[in-house]
Amino acid sequence: MTPVREAFVLPLVFLTVVLLGGLHLTTPVAIEPPSLFSLVLASLMLGVLVQTGTLDPARLMQSGRSPLANVNGLVVLITTFMATAQMLSLMTPASGLPSLALNLFFLIAILQLLAANVDRVRFLRVWAVTLLSSFTIKFILLTALSGPADRPLARALQVLVEGLTLGAFSQPVEPASSGYLAFATLALYLFGLALLPGMQRAALVRRH
Amino acid sequence: MQEPVVRALGAVLSVSYATLIVWLAVSQPQSLAEVTGGLSATVGVYRVDPVAFEDGLRFFHQDQFVEARAAFTRADSAARDARTQFYIAYSYYREGWSRMRHDDTAYAEGLKALDRAIAVAPEGRIVVDDPRLQMHSADELRAELVAGQTTDASDFNPLRLFRGRK
Repeated sequence: MTPVREAFVLPLVFLTVVLLGGLHLTTPVAIEPPSLFSLVLASLMLGVLVQTGTLDPARLMQSGRSPLANVNGLVVLITTFMATAQMLSLMTPASGLPSLALNLFFLIAILQLLAANVDRVRFLRVWAVTLLSSFTIKFILLTALSGPADRPLARALQVLVEGLTLGAFSQPVEPASSGYLAFATLALYLFGLALLPGMQRAALVRRH
Repeated sequence: MQEPVVRALGAVLSVSYATLIVWLAVSQPQSLAEVTGGLSATVGVYRVDPVAFEDGLRFFHQDQFVEARAAFTRADSAARDARTQFYIAYSYYREGWSRMRHDDTAYAEGLKALDRAIAVAPEGRIVVDDPRLQMHSADELRAELVAGQTTDASDFNPLRLFRGRK
């Protein structure tokens, strides 16, 4: 990994994820920190990143590196953790039953990844699909069910869902631009994960 | 560029960026003017537009309160100057004042402006040395604004009709 990637690219990518992920385009505009539960999930995710070989901490911090290089490594580790927490917080609905369900969904997904012992490429694929699924649930499905309904069928569906869940389903309405911003943030986060210094495998040597 | 320089620059940039994010999350600015004003106030270079402030002061003393607030807002676009915010709060007080019944909406806006002023004032203390004002401190103005919004026995005292505006 080049010093530029470690000192500039990775911290800036992950810090931008933290900033954009916390931005709520409501009126007034608000910047919110990640939820407490997402911090717990992000701690588990760091374990997954190391176990799958996506992140090799020894390439970021070790006694053989200069103090300045270790500071850069520490910054990468902290920003990776914060961006993961912010990403999980962003993909979780704000309140009610959907929030509980998505938090459980993430917890189970992360525990499965810990148990499955997959490699870097498979992990990145699975994690991208997991995040895209939660994006679809929060920003497409729940937005359609919670937003203003313009057709009688949509209104009837909303009333039905509200009645069945005793009002625990509806979410605060966010502007459509929130979904686009969240999608861009998700893409940036996955890009950052792909750039992380992974576990280097020993080269295969043919012996004669 | 040499590797230590790249690493040092990267560390400084990352810490600065993280500090900016924390500052944004804490101060929750609502416009670009508030962002730039807040940042410049943090490093001590924020300045109020003196011409717009003088315009505001002139309108204020001519009882043209809407015009005064427009000028004050122009002068202190980031709402970071305690004195200007004090005058905005005072303009709401004077606009909402009446011998019979005060305007609660104007008084509530006045309290909001006063809270902004106190939040940015050193140690939360504001004293404005303007001889044309009858209230010179945020404490006096706050008491008047709060009293104007509450209803008690003194509101039914006929002598209140002889009370003047401060």
